[in-house]
Amino acid sequence: MACCALVVAACGDDQAATSTERPTGGVTVFAASSLEAAFRTIGDAFEAANPGSTVTFQFAGSDRLATQIREGAPADVYAAASEKYPIELAGEGLVGEPLGFASNTLTLAIPTANPGGIVDASSIAAPGTKVVLGAEGVPIGDATRKVLGLLGEVYGNQFTGKVVSNVVSEEQDVKGIVAKLETGEADAGFIYVTDVAASSGLTAITLPEGAMLTVSYPIAVVRASRNADVAARFVEFVRGVDGQAALAAVGFGPITP
Amino acid sequence: MTRIGAGALVALAAAFVIVPLLAILLRLPPGALADGLSEPAAVDALLLSLRTTTIALAIMLAVGTPVAFVLARRPFPGARIVSTILELPVVLPPAVAGVALLYAFGRFGTVGGVLRAAGVEIAFTTAAVVLAQLFVAAPLYLRQAQAAFAAIDPRLEDAARSCGAGPTRLFLRVAVPVAAGGLVAGAALAWARALGEFGATLLFAGSLQGVTQTAPLAIYALLDGSTESALGLSVVLVTISFAVLIGVRLSSRRWSTPW
Repeated sequence: MACCALVVAACGDDQAATSTERPTGGVTVFAASSLEAAFRTIGDAFEAANPGSTVTFQFAGSDRLATQIREGAPADVYAAASEKYPIELAGEGLVGEPLGFASNTLTLAIPTANPGGIVDASSIAAPGTKVVLGAEGVPIGDATRKVLGLLGEVYGNQFTGKVVSNVVSEEQDVKGIVAKLETGEADAGFIYVTDVAASSGLTAITLPEGAMLTVSYPIAVVRASRNADVAARFVEFVRGVDGQAALAAVGFGPITP
Repeated sequence: MTRIGAGALVALAAAFVIVPLLAILLRLPPGALADGLSEPAAVDALLLSLRTTTIALAIMLAVGTPVAFVLARRPFPGARIVSTILELPVVLPPAVAGVALLYAFGRFGTVGGVLRAAGVEIAFTTAAVVLAQLFVAAPLYLRQAQAAFAAIDPRLEDAARSCGAGPTRLFLRVAVPVAAGGLVAGAALAWARALGEFGATLLFAGSLQGVTQTAPLAIYALLDGSTESALGLSVVLVTISFAVLIGVRLSSRRWSTPW
């Protein structure tokens, strides 16, 4: 019996090593909401390049996906919009080593109709402006608070307090912020440049030089994966030429060191 | 069906409800309930929920009771259609309700645009929370109240009228007291539904501590980080819901006895 298992295992390794006998099967990829457009393209390309493999996606906030992986959700790959959660999960032995695969930049976004009369980033401190932020503890919210700190250095120390008093809603993920902006209910919000590119009715307001914040997106194979070979191949694919092209096409930046 | 088979099915159905609820309690370390609930976000959320659902309930009773009475006892052409339309939010997905409210009462909405011109903006305010609760919960009350009014013996109404009771007096002194059991049960269920409102509120009112973040929204928000507070709030909501159900059961038994 043990002998048999060894043979099978050896055979499996062999398959992974030779490019002609590619591993096949289904993998489930848990990915941050902001990756949806790029990953759908990548998934199709991966399936075309690896006949017999299927990729299923679940898109949600990185933090929520991390919680689900902790609770034993059947994920094979985890792609996050923040380094925090992959590093935490790797520390807990739940995912393999996180590898950077893209970067994204925060921006101020407004409805194109500009109901709040936003001119530049300093406008969001004007009384009565309706600002939507990500909640504290979710990646977009934590990144936004860093940017607000940087903006405070640019516009003076009263700026951050004024913005905070203009906040009308704290959302749990980027989608919530985008919805409030696209309906025109809110005047401004902080999201990623890729989110503005993906939406129809939003315009990005460039942040001052000193307030630019770029975040790295890491990807990792989930340790409990039943199809770790295909999962590893998917990770490789995302970091490879095809994956990078699909990510760049929707506005993601290159892998940051 | 054998008795054992039927018993097993009943046990299975009960376990299906009890096990997930117990799972919340089992996850909560001893003492964590109090710790979690003492967090400002949790306290604010419970107070806000209490405040908004009370207002929603008051509007529901004041407007819904006469409406239900008219629909049940004074049928007019199209009354059934009106009654069906009023029930619609019960089967509507909450997210749809939220979008619909936004398009109606948002600042670029059909009604919201007019209100905005008058200097009133509803989205992102506590009023938006109340509107969302009213929209999804009031139909539950209307349905129960209509059934309660419909069950009144017509002879009672005739008797009251022959004693010289006008329409208002008839409604307040005869119909409402006689239908009280059904009205209380309907109000309790609708209040509990308002308390649990989530989807429409999140879309229409947003989520801001102390202003629009009700208990269900706080549970959603606190799950990222302050799990103990989220679980603590969950336990409170489960307890309240259970108390409401028991209350409805007890009151309907008490009221349904003929006098």
